[in-house]
Amino acid sequence: MDDNLQEPNAVPKVNLGDEVDEEEQSSGDEDEGPDWTKLMPNAAKPVIPKRGDKEFEPSKQGGSGLQQHILNRSRNAMFDALRATRTISNKAISYGTWHPTLSRVSVSIARGTAMNTIGHSAPREILMADGVLKTQKKLELLPEEAIYLIERGSLMCWKESVSTKYPNDGIFEDVSGSPMTVQQAYSEMIGKEDLTMDRVRDYPLQTSLLFLSHCGTISAFIIRPAVFFTLTATCITLFILDIKPFFADIFSDYRLVEAAKNQQMATKGEELQYINSLGSFALSLTLALLDFIFRSLRFIPSGHKVPIYTPPEKNFPPSPYEPFFNLYKPPTPFKKSAPPPPDYQIVVVDARTTPMPSLRELAAIYDNAPELPPPKPRVKNPPQVQGVSYKQTSAPTPAPGNPTPVSDHSQLQTSVQNTTTPLGADLGPSGLSSSTPARLFSWPSWLSSSNPGPTSNNSRAERKPNPFAVLRQGKKTAIIAVVDAGTINIFRFAQGAFETGPWF
Amino acid sequence: MKDRIPIRIANKRAYVWDVDDLVRIRSEHHLCGLLVGTLPHLSQQNVFLGVPAQLIPEEAMLLVEQQLAVFIDDPNAYPEPSLSQFERWNEQQIQYLKRQKTILESDLKPPQLAQRAMSEEAIQKRKQRELKRQQKAQELRQNVEQPIFVPSVEDPERSSVSSSQYTISVSAPSSSLSWYTPSSHSYSTIEAARQGGIWDFPSDLRDRARYGVFKDLWEQGYFMGGGIRFGAIIWCTQVILSDTTRIFVRLSSNHRPMQ
Repeated sequence: MDDNLQEPNAVPKVNLGDEVDEEEQSSGDEDEGPDWTKLMPNAAKPVIPKRGDKEFEPSKQGGSGLQQHILNRSRNAMFDALRATRTISNKAISYGTWHPTLSRVSVSIARGTAMNTIGHSAPREILMADGVLKTQKKLELLPEEAIYLIERGSLMCWKESVSTKYPNDGIFEDVSGSPMTVQQAYSEMIGKEDLTMDRVRDYPLQTSLLFLSHCGTISAFIIRPAVFFTLTATCITLFILDIKPFFADIFSDYRLVEAAKNQQMATKGEELQYINSLGSFALSLTLALLDFIFRSLRFIPSGHKVPIYTPPEKNFPPSPYEPFFNLYKPPTPFKKSAPPPPDYQIVVVDARTTPMPSLRELAAIYDNAPELPPPKPRVKNPPQVQGVSYKQTSAPTPAPGNPTPVSDHSQLQTSVQNTTTPLGADLGPSGLSSSTPARLFSWPSWLSSSNPGPTSNNSRAERKPNPFAVLRQGKKTAIIAVVDAGTINIFRFAQGAFETGPWF
Repeated sequence: MKDRIPIRIANKRAYVWDVDDLVRIRSEHHLCGLLVGTLPHLSQQNVFLGVPAQLIPEEAMLLVEQQLAVFIDDPNAYPEPSLSQFERWNEQQIQYLKRQKTILESDLKPPQLAQRAMSEEAIQKRKQRELKRQQKAQELRQNVEQPIFVPSVEDPERSSVSSSQYTISVSAPSSSLSWYTPSSHSYSTIEAARQGGIWDFPSDLRDRARYGVFKDLWEQGYFMGGGIRFGAIIWCTQVILSDTTRIFVRLSSNHRPMQ
């Protein structure tokens, strides 16, 4: 009878938050007879608000036998699931060796699709049998990549042994040290190379989030920027976040305001003299005030192009808000040796020790981020396109690694316009306003990435993007993962600007 | 000392790796921890997570202070195994493989078919067929170009192991390893752990205040956990029933991280 109730079912019901009217809220037992509790005076009614059906309700007697039974079953199901052992088919397992001195796992046998996007090759000197040092390129994993693979059952990891050589006479294809458990991997690998637990937890979260929201294979690529500092010279400039030079020698907001005030004080006297000679005090006062206001208004620059005031004498502690992971969407054509600019960069911070980002820290992230093109209006059944990303803005620049300088806004904007024109023109407003044949013609032109025809340019000019979508997306974005003892929240900060936009 | 729960400390975070310990922490001491690992057979999702369970610093400190648990300096508890220890471990793996095979043979194949497949004649035939195929391939290659690499016929003992399908088990907790020595790296008080350099909570007045509140609520019998998803420091719920499994799942599922 109660089969449905008794089945341990950890998946929550979807309609919990739905509005449920009074009748549905009362449980089945109460429906059978008249419910006298409804006649209770207001003061005597329980004050805890109740929404929806509850399988378990707190009661002073400690719950009925059925409730206890269901609870125990569900709890045992949980522990049974946790007790399951990690078994891997011998045909699918990769082998690797953990080198504590290098903080890397070198892969000796690589199998599976996960290896296509994980790891990087690094030249290492190896002592050959004849005593000669030779440099060989080896596939190596970062600690978090190794932990991820060990946890999901793709990697058998050995710990490099210093003194003992272990025989390989068992069931393994490769024995290069003592076997590591998952626990040992956690204990030894975390803490190496800036890797904290927070960042480890964030890594599979990213993969699984993208996995869930995009296509059916796990193919989100995550890379730590820091690795490529050491790998290729061209990438060194790619992700550097250097805040100070941007602000040190530029005018500050504060000084400009001061200057504006001085100007007001000086002009006030002159204005009054001039007005008295006219003889109309009221008019002159108005004019003076208007002039006063206009002068003041015109003089103070605003918007994101104005750098934030930074006291030059102060030394700021290093900011925890630095990008730690580069994130690529699944359809990215990805080369391990020369990774393209990422779709997103993610900052990982510890909630316990890190305060909210200051304006300065956010500005630093924005400075490194590309300017996003305005969001495209919705199209029915859009083809799979790569989203707004670092790639589009940095595509025209010859070296894909240059961080965007602050003063380069105008140039940047034009470059964004250039690169997005084919996209925006064909998929965007024209897709909605123009007729179907026009749309059909415009799609191939986008696919072959040639310049759009004049018709699509015209239709682009006709329609502006929705201001709300523009405001919501912002011009630049910063993604921050906040981790508190294992709980991860991801926040998106966006830099919006009213100075330019579809409302003007 | 013996029946205290071992809490593994790595990088100043507290983890529980053994499911039995987790059961005790949850049902006897009404503390939850948070599962942060990957479930072995459900590795491509993040709704259900597996061991280890990470304890928030307040939980770990409370358990040690109440003399219910000890801290273990985990990264240093792995000496290099001796040759004999490794061989014993290797032997266990081989036994595990043999057990798999017997189970597989008795389960999957009907007895007659299994007998036929494993009969001496069939094995001989299969070997001959394999040899023929290899020779043919070799001849073909010789016709096309000079032979670069001549595959040698593997010895039958070895190939029977490597060619068949079997599973390798990677253990999550280290307690099964004979060379793992947690007892010599355990700390039974917070002060000792702090002096050993593996623990630093509470580090300031604010932490002490948090711990004070946590302990008081725990003594009153509440279930608690990290409350960042509710914009709070801790969430707590009254325990009238004996577990929060159901309540907890609901609360957390309603508050997905912002994307």
